[in-house]
Amino acid sequence: MHAIPQLLASTLLLGGIYALIAVGLTLIFGVMRVVNFAHGEFLMLGMYLAFWAFTLLGLDPYVTLVLGLPVIFAGGWLSYRLVMRPVIHASHNVQVFTTVGLSIALQNLALVLWTADSQFVRTSYYAVVVHLGSAVLNLAQLIAFSVAVLCTAALFAFLRWSYTGKVMRATAQDRAAASLMGIDTGRVFALTWAVGVSCVGVAGVLLAPIYPVYPTVGLQFVLIAYVAVVLGGLGDMAGALIASLIVAAVEVIGSYVIGTAWKEVLYLLLFIGILVVRPAGLFGQRGAEAIGA
Amino acid sequence: MREAWPAVAFFALAALGPVLVRDPFLLDSLVLILLWGSTAAAWNVAGGYAGQVSLGHAAFFGLGAYSAALLGTKWDLSPWIGLLVGAVLATALGILIGFLSNRLRGPYFALATIAFSQVLLIVASRWRGFTSGSEGIPVPFRPGFWTLGITDKRVWVVIVLVLAICVYLVELYLERSRRGFQLAAVREDEDAALSLGVPALWLKVAAIAASAALTAVAGALWAQYVGFVDPLYVFSVDLSVRFALAAILGGIGTALGPFLGAALILMLETYLRARFGGIGAGLVGIYLIIYGTALVVMMRFAPQGLLPWVGERFRRRPAAGSTS
Repeated sequence: MHAIPQLLASTLLLGGIYALIAVGLTLIFGVMRVVNFAHGEFLMLGMYLAFWAFTLLGLDPYVTLVLGLPVIFAGGWLSYRLVMRPVIHASHNVQVFTTVGLSIALQNLALVLWTADSQFVRTSYYAVVVHLGSAVLNLAQLIAFSVAVLCTAALFAFLRWSYTGKVMRATAQDRAAASLMGIDTGRVFALTWAVGVSCVGVAGVLLAPIYPVYPTVGLQFVLIAYVAVVLGGLGDMAGALIASLIVAAVEVIGSYVIGTAWKEVLYLLLFIGILVVRPAGLFGQRGAEAIGA
Repeated sequence: MREAWPAVAFFALAALGPVLVRDPFLLDSLVLILLWGSTAAAWNVAGGYAGQVSLGHAAFFGLGAYSAALLGTKWDLSPWIGLLVGAVLATALGILIGFLSNRLRGPYFALATIAFSQVLLIVASRWRGFTSGSEGIPVPFRPGFWTLGITDKRVWVVIVLVLAICVYLVELYLERSRRGFQLAAVREDEDAALSLGVPALWLKVAAIAASAALTAVAGALWAQYVGFVDPLYVFSVDLSVRFALAAILGGIGTALGPFLGAALILMLETYLRARFGGIGAGLVGIYLIIYGTALVVMMRFAPQGLLPWVGERFRRRPAAGSTS
């Protein structure tokens, strides 16, 4: 029983990071109806950004976070203009394979430029831990969690109260009606994509001091994000948040009970189970999966 | 049969390979084109004709490869039996996936198939006692046709050519038969098809199962041809994407397109490997960058694939009674 506070704390920390990855994915899906199969690659690029800023310029990842945000946002915007805009009204299959193509290209660009070796950001506080009651927490994880929660909260507030956020939600609800109300949906899509990419890019920078970075690192995280996003209901922001915590709990408790080697099987089975039993997710609109929305 | 002449020409040309060509490199390319072409065409049965776009077909390929390799190393059985077992297992998995994800469309179905293939990847790479884990399995070389220990690449061309023609005939069946038309109706509008009494679920499950079985056969042959099974490769998302990509490049939902797509990809791969091979291992990625970019560009300008795209260009000239 002594392990419970530790498990709880680990779940919360992990869930916070997963949430930031999942929120970007679900935002893009909710507004644009596109499942971004290149989401993991933007995470990878965020991690490399932190790595190179640290190695070449000696910048701490948390400095990179602030300075790099405009860069990440601009990169997201650019990728929308170049890749996504032409297919935004195309069929699902075209969109799926466009993002798959983007994913392959980015992954291998990283491979060619930076080799397949695992790289580490070894900060001076690399091994610093914080004691919280009977739980022991890694400092970098704690910071990552705090920033992730802050970013997610900011995104929620932005969507809830700002005019642009309302415009985005209106477009998500009914893009034809939004167009008729004079909303420039093309701009909304570009902004949504860039914001979604920024979320996952920030998550990448935050993960850099915790996990090694290599060109295919995105896959393991993005699979978790898919699970969380489908579990929460594709396009449902609050659902993604809660589902991230559930997935993190499954992972943490699963690792504790049956060992780390098989933990992925657990959440994949959870994923398949959700897809079979309730593909609309816990909070999503029932039937969304059947109209292919 | 007028539209079938490019296919007849393609397979006839492939059949001439073992007769005319002696160069082992060219024969090897031919084997790989036919093998990857078969996987792409098998993917097309589900992804193109049934509209069930899968990104997890590596699951079936890996099942075939592992069945052949494990039955051979553990129980000393012929890879032909392994091939059959793999096909049966893949059919079962295909039926399971078909039933479980019947309601899922588009990206949801793709996500579900990724999840299934990842489960198999983890099982194969972690279940050390049975599969020897992530180290993979070297397939023992036992000379003879029954054990598929064949060094003569001309024989291999014939074997994979038979597979390729089988897959092509399945595609042709879906293009010409009543069942095929019904499947197309389900793909275009499932509710409308159901209301006309088309057994939509049954047809989709059958298409996925057939697609799975054919992919597994290709996997089993591939394992014997290459001589090594690596779980991180045979169950990878990359491999699933490769099957889909060849089909899409050549022309999704066309019978010959996947073979042309596979041939194009292999040629590009070989050319770039020869061109940049000496520079370093990281440069292997260059071909994949081009391949990813090509996919994005294709989706933008010719999402229907190259074969239909070329067809449209030719058909600009008035063709009386042309229906497409």
